[in-house]
Amino acid sequence: MAAPLLQLDHIAKSFGAVRALRGVTFDLLPGEVHALAGENGAGKSTLINVIAGVHRPDSGSLLIDGRPIDRLTPAQAREMGIATVHQQPALFPDLTVSENIALALEPPDGLRRIDWKERHERAVQLLHRAGAAIDPRRGAGELSMPEQQLVEIAKALGAGARILILDEPTASLTRKETELLHGVLTDLKARGAGIIYISHRLHEIFAMADRVTVLRDGESIASFPTAETDEASLVRLMVGRETASSYPALACTAGGKMLSVTNLTCDRSRIRNISFDVSRGEVFGIAGLIGAGRTELARTLFGITPADRGEIVIDGKLARIRSLREAIDLGIGYLPEDRRRHGIVQKMSIAANITMALHPRIFPFGFIQPRRERALAESYMRQLAIKAPSPETLCGALSGGNQQKAALSRWLATDPKVLILDEPSQGVDVGAKAEMHNIIRELAAKGVAIILISSDLSEVLGASDRIGVMRSGEMAQIFERKDADADSLMRAALPARGRTVS
Amino acid sequence: MNQWSREIWVASVLAALLALLAVFAPAFYAPMPLLSRCSEQAPALIMTVGMALLIIARQIDVSVGSQFAVCAVIAGTLTAAKAPLVIAVATAIAAGGAMGALNGLLVAGLGLPSIVVTLATMATWEQALRLFQQGRFVALPEGTQWWGLGQTMGQWTLIAAACLITAAFAVAMKHTSGGRRVYAVGSDAESALLAGIDPRKTVFRLFILMGLLAGLAAALNIVRSPQVDPKAGLGLELKVIAAVVVGGVAVSGGRGSVWGASVGLLLLATINPALTYLHVDAYWEKATQGVVILAALIADSLKRRTHAGR
Amino acid sequence: MPADSMPAEIRPTKAAARAAAMPWHELVLLAFVAAELLFFDVTGRRFLTGDNLANILRHSTELGLLALAMMPVILTGGIDLSIGSLLGLSTVLFGKMVDEGGLSPLCAGVITFLAGAAAGGLNALLIGALRLPPLIVTLGTYSLFRGLAEALTKGTEIYSRFPPYFLAFGNSRIGPLPAQGWILAAAAILFWILVHKTVLGRCWRAIGYSPEGAAHAGIAVKTRVATAYIIAGAVSALAAIVYTARVAQGRADAGAGYELAAITAVVLGGSSIFGGSGSVPGTVLGVAAIALLSNGLGRIPAAMGVSRELAGMMTGALLLAALSASALARMASERRARRT
Repeated sequence: MAAPLLQLDHIAKSFGAVRALRGVTFDLLPGEVHALAGENGAGKSTLINVIAGVHRPDSGSLLIDGRPIDRLTPAQAREMGIATVHQQPALFPDLTVSENIALALEPPDGLRRIDWKERHERAVQLLHRAGAAIDPRRGAGELSMPEQQLVEIAKALGAGARILILDEPTASLTRKETELLHGVLTDLKARGAGIIYISHRLHEIFAMADRVTVLRDGESIASFPTAETDEASLVRLMVGRETASSYPALACTAGGKMLSVTNLTCDRSRIRNISFDVSRGEVFGIAGLIGAGRTELARTLFGITPADRGEIVIDGKLARIRSLREAIDLGIGYLPEDRRRHGIVQKMSIAANITMALHPRIFPFGFIQPRRERALAESYMRQLAIKAPSPETLCGALSGGNQQKAALSRWLATDPKVLILDEPSQGVDVGAKAEMHNIIRELAAKGVAIILISSDLSEVLGASDRIGVMRSGEMAQIFERKDADADSLMRAALPARGRTVS
Repeated sequence: MNQWSREIWVASVLAALLALLAVFAPAFYAPMPLLSRCSEQAPALIMTVGMALLIIARQIDVSVGSQFAVCAVIAGTLTAAKAPLVIAVATAIAAGGAMGALNGLLVAGLGLPSIVVTLATMATWEQALRLFQQGRFVALPEGTQWWGLGQTMGQWTLIAAACLITAAFAVAMKHTSGGRRVYAVGSDAESALLAGIDPRKTVFRLFILMGLLAGLAAALNIVRSPQVDPKAGLGLELKVIAAVVVGGVAVSGGRGSVWGASVGLLLLATINPALTYLHVDAYWEKATQGVVILAALIADSLKRRTHAGR
Repeated sequence: MPADSMPAEIRPTKAAARAAAMPWHELVLLAFVAAELLFFDVTGRRFLTGDNLANILRHSTELGLLALAMMPVILTGGIDLSIGSLLGLSTVLFGKMVDEGGLSPLCAGVITFLAGAAAGGLNALLIGALRLPPLIVTLGTYSLFRGLAEALTKGTEIYSRFPPYFLAFGNSRIGPLPAQGWILAAAAILFWILVHKTVLGRCWRAIGYSPEGAAHAGIAVKTRVATAYIIAGAVSALAAIVYTARVAQGRADAGAGYELAAITAVVLGGSSIFGGSGSVPGTVLGVAAIALLSNGLGRIPAAMGVSRELAGMMTGALLLAALSASALARMASERRARRT
C-alpha cells in the first residue's frame, strides 16, 4: 500500500474551557476518499481546521508525506497541496470569480503583471472540470451558495490539491450537482489525490468513501473500510448510545393554541406563505436542510426581520411584531443558533446575561439593583444546574452546555409564552444535551409553546410532538410524531429535483 | 460599467462644477493660476494614492499630515545644508517609511485599531517637530526652487510626477496580483488568511508604503517655495481622507479605486477655489470639506440601502 | 457529566473571580499618578502647592469633561473625534450670543448646551440610522464643526466681552476647589452613576462587547448608542462654556487636539478601545495623569518654554505605550490560554 499522504496522531485542541479535540488519530492514503462521520459538535470542523493550518493543535503530531510538521500555517498547508472547501465558502464577495480563482493560484509576487486572457481561460477550464457553468466574470458576491462551493472546488483543482477536504459538500447542492461532484472526485482519486469527505448523509458516505473514521466528543472512535460496515452500526458508533434513550418520555398535554401563524411571508429573508400553529405545552420541531429558511423563520417571528405579510396570533390575540422588543414584550423568547455571537455576551457575568432581556421589567427606574439581579441569577443557576462559582462569573469562562443554559435562563426569566430554540444542543456535550432535553420537557409541561429547530434529525424526532419540515423558504409538510421517521423527514426536506435520492 | 458607477458619478459632479465655473467665473481658467493650483495639489495626489490603498485594505492613517511635515523639514534642512538633491529626497522618503513602519508594527503586529494608533503618532510627530523646529521656517538655498527649472517647467514636472505615480498605482491595483491582494484583505481578512494571504503582512507593507509616499510628496513639495513651512502638513490628512472617501472608496474596505480617489481629490480641490470665484467666503473651506465627506457617506449609505431593498 | 467538560485547571474559582474583580488597572494607574506627583515635586519648582494643584484642576476641567464625554462612546465600541471641534464651535456660538447678541451667559449657556446635544445628535443620526462607521462620520463632523466655527468668526474674530461675574466664575475658588472643579466633580459622579449603576451603562457595555448579542437580548442598540453621542455633544458644549469662562475668549481654534487627549485619558484609564470594558474612576485617573504631566513639565526648569510640545509628545507616546501594553497583555493571556 502507498505511504499515507497525511497522518494525525493523538491530536488535541481546546478553546478556552471547551475541549474540541481530545485525541484524534487519522490517516489519508493517496487515491482514497476517507469520510469523517460524527454528530454536530463531534470535532469535525476543528479537525479540518487543524489540517488546513488554521488552528494549531495543543498536542499530538501531524505528518504530511511522512514528514512531521510542527507549526502548520494556512499558507504552508496550501503549498503542500492541502485545499479545503468549506461549508460556508470563503470567497471575496467584491472580486470576480476569476480573480478569486487567481488569488488562490498565483504566487504572491506582488508586482507581476496579470495575464487577463490566460486567467480567464484557466478559470473557464477549472470551472468546467468542477462541473460548474459559471461565468468567471461574475462577482463572487452574486453567486448562490452552491455556486460558491463549486468555485471553491475549482480553486482546489487549480491548486493541484493532493489533499482535498470537503466539508459538507452536498449540504446545498442539487442532485445533478452532486453527481457532477462525484465525477470530479473520481477524477481526483485517479490522479492520486486523497480526499477527506465530511457529510451528515450516511448514504453518501457509503456511496463515495473508501474508508470512514468516526469522531465522537472530540475523539476518533473507530476507522474501517466502508465495505465492512453498515449505516446502523455507523450511527451506533457516532451516537455512542441507543438513540432514543436520551430523550425523556413524551407526555403531550397540549392545551389550546398558543401561537398560530398564517401565510407568513418575509421577502428579505426569503420565506413564503408559512402557516402552522403550536399549542400550549407542545414542542413543535422544525427540520430542514441548511438554507431552508428555519432560522429565517425564527428571526421573523422574533421581529429581527419583521414579516411583510401574514398573520401571527399569540394566545388568541393578533400580534403585530415589528421589532425584537415588541416580540419580547409579547412573550416570545428566542435562543439563537450562534450562541457565542448572539446567544450571550461572553465577557459579561452570568447575572448580567440573564437579566439582559428584562431590563425595563425588573429595574423600573433604570438603576441596576445588584441584590435583585443576583437573587434572580442564583435561582436560575440552581434551577438549571448551571455549574459556576458565582453569578458574577463571566459567561465566556463556562463550558458550552453551561453557556447554553445561561442563555436559556435569560428567556425563562422573561416568562415566555412561546420559546423558539434554534439548535439548542449544538456544540454542547452529550450530558448537557440530555439535560437540555429534560428542560425542554419541563417547560412544555408548564404550558410554554416551544419551537425546536434542529439539524439533528434524531433530536427533532426524539423531542418533538409534531414536526414541520421546511424546504426552500416554505413549510413543506407537517408530521405528527407517530407518522414521522428520519427517512420521511429527509424526503420532505430535499429539494424537488433531488427527492429521488433515497 | 456598474463597477465604475461611483467614479463616473464623481467625475460628473466635477464636470458640472467646471462647467459652472466656465460660465460664471471664466477667470478660473486663466492658465497661470490654474497651473499653480494644479501643482499645489500634486503632493496631496501622491498621498491620496497611498491613503486609497490603506482604506481599501480597511485601515486608515491620520498621521500622514505630520509625516509630511516632518519629512519636508528633513528634506529642507538637508538641502539647506547643501546635501545633494538625491540624498535629501532619499532621506525624506526613508524617514516617511520608518514612520509608516512604526504605524504598521503597532497596527499589524499588535492588532491595535489604526485610527487610535495613527492619532497618537500624529500628535507625537507633530509635537516633536514643534519641539525641534519651534515654528521656524527652513530657508532653502538659491536655485532649489523648482529644481532650477523655472516655474512653469517645474510645475509641469511636479504635476507629471504625481500623475505618473497615480497612474502606476491605479494600474497596479487593477492589474497585478499584489493589488488584488489589497482588495482581498480589505474585503474579508478571514477569507484572505484562508486563501494563504497574510493580512498582517499586507497591512504592514501598506503602512510603510503610505509613509514612503508621504515622504516623497514632502520632498517634491519643498521646491514649490523658497522656504519650508513646518506647519505645511497641518490638516492634510483630512483632505486626503476626504478625497478618498468622496472618490468612492468604501470605508468598510474592499471597494473603490485609485482613479476614483484621485477624481475625488480633484473635486475637493476645485470646490474651494470655485467658492471663492463664486463669491463665497474662504472661511467656509473646512466646513465645506466636512459637508462633502458627510454627503459622500450619506449617498453611499442610501445607495447601499436601496440596493439591499431590491 | 457536564463538569467533566471543563478541565480542572481552568475551571473558574472564587479566588480567581475575586482577583478579576479587583481594579488592578486603576491601582497601577494610581501608582503612576503618585509617581508623577513625586517626580515633579522633586524636579519641579513649586509643584506640590495648594495653589498649583488648584491650578491644575482648573486647567484640566475641560479635558476632564471631554474625557468623561468620550468614555461612554468608547464603551459602546465607537469613537467621537468631533468633540474637540465641537468645543471650538460651542465657544464661538456662546461668545457670539453673549458678545454680539447681548444674551445673558445663563441663557446663552442653555442654548449652547442644547446646540451641543443637537450636534451630538447629528453624529448619532449618521451612525445609528445610516449605519455608517463612527470613525469616518466623526472625522467628517470634526471638519464640519471646526469649519463652522471658522466661518462664524471669519477665521480671526475672537469674542471677549463677557460679564465680569461670568469671568470671575472661571477664575475663582469655591471652598477648597476652583469653581469649575465642582462641575468636574459633579460630572464625574454623574457619569459614574450612569456608567456603573444604571441600565443605560449596562447596555453600553453589552453593546461594546457584542452589538449583535445585545440586540438579540432586545436591547435597543441604536437608541442606546445615540444617547452616548448626544451626551458627548452636550458635555462638550458644557466644557466649552467652562473654557470660555476661564480664558475669557470665544475663539474658533479652542479645543484643537483635545479629542486626542480625551481618547488618551480614556484608554490610559483602562477602557478597551474595542469597547465593553472601562471605568469612570479609571478615566478620571487618566485625566489626572495627563494634567499632571503637562503642568509638571512646565515646572521643570530644563523643560521651561518647550513644556507644551513635550507634554503633547509624551501624551501621544503615553497613549501608544498604554495601547501596546494592553495588546501585549492580551496576547500573552491568549498564549497562556492556548497552553492550558
